[in-house]
Amino acid sequence: MPLYELSLILRVVSKPELVASLKRSAETIVQQGGVLRQFISMGTNPLPYKMRAHTHWHREGIHFTMKFDAPSFAVEILKDEFKRDIDLIRTHVVKLEEPIKHECTLEEELKPPAYRKDVQQLIEEGKKTIRNQFQQNTPGFDYYPFQK
Amino acid sequence: MAFSKKVVPFFHISSLYRISSIIPVPHVIVRHSTNFNASLQQEDDDQPIQNLSNPYQKEKRCCVLCKYDVKVDYKNARLLSQFLSPFTGKVYEKNITGLCKTKQKIVEGEIIKAQNAGYLAIMLKKVEYLKDPKLYDPNRPVRPHRY
Repeated sequence: MPLYELSLILRVVSKPELVASLKRSAETIVQQGGVLRQFISMGTNPLPYKMRAHTHWHREGIHFTMKFDAPSFAVEILKDEFKRDIDLIRTHVVKLEEPIKHECTLEEELKPPAYRKDVQQLIEEGKKTIRNQFQQNTPGFDYYPFQK
Repeated sequence: MAFSKKVVPFFHISSLYRISSIIPVPHVIVRHSTNFNASLQQEDDDQPIQNLSNPYQKEKRCCVLCKYDVKVDYKNARLLSQFLSPFTGKVYEKNITGLCKTKQKIVEGEIIKAQNAGYLAIMLKKVEYLKDPKLYDPNRPVRPHRY
């Protein structure tokens, strides 16, 4: 079961209503065989643009995230469930993965192209490939026997 | 004024040369027989060092996100919008942002995630973010581009 992150944007409602709607969405995850890991409240914020959901325009929203483990087939069902929830403006499920460890390669990239390793590899590959040369289809002759 | 005219030639630099010629300077260094071998060894140590790293080598350049080890998250709309154009709302390319290959790819991916999740607008930049500190100058790209 991979780890997912659900980001919710809820319409601005009173606190008991908010709790009820969060419980509802959390229960749907549990019903699909998911395990809840973390709840993060990010407060009421103005939206980047006015959004329309369930025949209403919204300019503000309550941002909330949940982390949960769930089987991969449950995600589609969850999306379908959240679509019908009136309190939710936007939902988005993201698969969480461990960040890639890498070293900064900016110094290598800023070199002129002839000194870059990836360009040097390309040049070597280009040398290896033999281009199709024209072959005369004249068996038995090493020259073209007809008048050109 | 008359006084200064008289005084200045007295303190002319050439007068200092004359003093230095008078004072004896020890040119000859006496080498004792007991310390002779030791002094020879010292001369060997004074030979140029062979395996010396290049003292003129410049410090390795690093991109902004790698330097301060910034975690790029799709929920952090303010950070992501620093890489967006205020005119088109599109992501600036690698040659303008000055990021390394991997970080640029991560930033582009996170911006798409943020737009889908409703944290970022697609065609515009938020007015509150317009006066954020500039990480780069779009008019002076690292490498010239086709626009």
